[in-house]
Amino acid sequence: MITRDIVRRAGRSLRQAKARTLLTSLAIAVGAFTLTLSIAAGEGSRQYADKLIGSNINPQALFIVKDKTLFGEGGQQQSGLREYDPDAGTTGTGVAIKQLNQGDIDALRARNDLENVQPTYQLSIRSLTIEGSDKQYTADVSAYDSTVRSESAEGSLPELGTQIADDQVIMPEQFADILVEQKVVGSKAELVGKKLTMTVVKPSTQPTEAEINQILTTEGTSGLSKLAQGETKEVTFIVGALSKQSSTALAAGSALQISSNQAREIAEYTTQGTDNYQKYLGVTALAKGDALPDDVKAALDKAGYAAQTAKDLQTVIFTVVNILQGIVAGFGVLALLASVFGIINTQYISVLERTQQIGLMKALGMRGRDVARLFRYEAAWIGFLGGVIGSGTAWLLGTLLNPWITETISLGEGNSILIFQPLPIAILVVALMLVAVIAGYFPARKAAKLDPIEALRTE
Amino acid sequence: MIEVKSVTKTYGKKQNLFTALDNVSFSIESGSTVAILGKSGSGKSTLMHAMSGLDRPQTGEIIIDGENILALKQKAVDKFRATKMSFIFQSFFVQANESCYDNVSLPLEIAQLSAKERKIRVTKALEAVELGDKIKSKAKNLSGGQKQRLAVARAIVNEPQILFADEPTGNLDSTTGETIEDLLFGYNKKNGTTLIIVTHDPELAAKCDIEIRIKDGKIESIRDTPNKTAAIKPAKTRAKGTV
Repeated sequence: MITRDIVRRAGRSLRQAKARTLLTSLAIAVGAFTLTLSIAAGEGSRQYADKLIGSNINPQALFIVKDKTLFGEGGQQQSGLREYDPDAGTTGTGVAIKQLNQGDIDALRARNDLENVQPTYQLSIRSLTIEGSDKQYTADVSAYDSTVRSESAEGSLPELGTQIADDQVIMPEQFADILVEQKVVGSKAELVGKKLTMTVVKPSTQPTEAEINQILTTEGTSGLSKLAQGETKEVTFIVGALSKQSSTALAAGSALQISSNQAREIAEYTTQGTDNYQKYLGVTALAKGDALPDDVKAALDKAGYAAQTAKDLQTVIFTVVNILQGIVAGFGVLALLASVFGIINTQYISVLERTQQIGLMKALGMRGRDVARLFRYEAAWIGFLGGVIGSGTAWLLGTLLNPWITETISLGEGNSILIFQPLPIAILVVALMLVAVIAGYFPARKAAKLDPIEALRTE
Repeated sequence: MIEVKSVTKTYGKKQNLFTALDNVSFSIESGSTVAILGKSGSGKSTLMHAMSGLDRPQTGEIIIDGENILALKQKAVDKFRATKMSFIFQSFFVQANESCYDNVSLPLEIAQLSAKERKIRVTKALEAVELGDKIKSKAKNLSGGQKQRLAVARAIVNEPQILFADEPTGNLDSTTGETIEDLLFGYNKKNGTTLIIVTHDPELAAKCDIEIRIKDGKIESIRDTPNKTAAIKPAKTRAKGTV
């Protein structure tokens, strides 16, 4: 019997048992639905992550640290009794890490495969004032990272890779909202161009007895309290732009940003005389010219540093996405496994029900192999139907729900977390047909081995 | 020409051994009508199954047109059945949910005929049994007689050399039974197809050229109608058959 005729007969047999066919394929459809969603979600997340990284981070960018444990490699993070290291600092959680010192920075700047080497300054200010308000505020301050793109709500930001001017400060939009609320300014736009003054404190040094006596005699007790508070300095900036809180912008949205030169000055002023003076947690840099970030990373590794490239960051995100996708897909596979037994059961019943038909076909000269094919194709039809129903429903539902999901998790206009592509879904449907055929193997073999004489016995 | 040479078929083992056919031999000229007559359990159906290659006797030969079908591989036997034989059964075995067309088309699909050729032959076969107007009807909507006529159409559609009919009128009333008999004998006369009817009905057997009586797996007697041209081979085989 030729394949087309067998396929036709298989389809017809299924149509004659519509309810049973539909119910069996619905079991597969559940698996197909889950798998389609997991494929779509994986694709969506990867594209979103790609977009996020691609539009925000210079692909040449590297983040360099001294302590390899920061990237989860090269041994455990140290705590407990350990050797004293003058370069050691502590993280927020109290874990000791190796910091970079000025020597490291100079060494990195001297390298011919790096450019734009910027230490991450740890900045702290005591207070700040804004022109037009006599209130004192405080906020986090960070150095402007020219390798990460920010979007401005008001004013203008320099191009990617260019630093802001030394007298400028970038203010997060949300700060502006508060200031508008407090009627410091009439509108957010008015903030641009206003003066912002930061007060930074030089840590107090232990004064000698002679110094105390001297101040007491010259300035009295007020001088003494001033001495205890430490020396302060005021730095004045002009608000250059308001940075926008965006779903596709990676830049931290809750800190004032100043130029790296100013950041260095403030950082050095506030750490002068302490252990943290000219010590840095990490360094951002760009691989110079045509140098591949991965090559630079390897070179840095040899030099005793640890570096992370934009691609590494992508890999980290993708790993998370893949794990989540794997979990969802696992449930889909479980559903499929259950449906496999459904197919086997249905097909066995079908063989029993159609014993006479099988007997007749064999009596008329149909080969056992063709009988087996007939049943396998029926299983394939069930798989096809289930796959189409499942992935079709997922597609439809996903497309309908995408705008809502995007809004709910504030993904940003034009981004979808579920991306359906025809090819993976087509492959999925074919794979499901294959699974169904495998499930139909034993019933089909039973049909093929049926003795026509037994099958045609009438009593 | 069909030659059956010392065919023995047994079922079971040792104490349960049952001999369904015991050293059966005879031969039939092509184009004759043959009745295999016997009671229930006499071995007449087993003989038909053996002759059609559905069953494989332990010993003996069944030679059709010079070829021993028992020596053929399963694939070749299947092809033999698909192209040279066909069957009619007591309980019709038409596919109730399928149309008359699809029922009759099945043997041609098995024989791998083209769709175009199939259409011509199916239409012709259905017209031959006067079911031309039922071509699209579902088989379940037919009466008993119509179902058997449909089965006849299915049996003649591949223009077989040998047509086996297992109690073809057993489930029918006498009038419709006669219609079927007329159809079968008419087809035999017109096309020269060898017709082998398995029955327990002596009246039906009497209408055939040759009547082979089976009892307990052995040939009891063979009647050869003398005035027919196509007839059984003389004494030698007969003697063998009546052991």
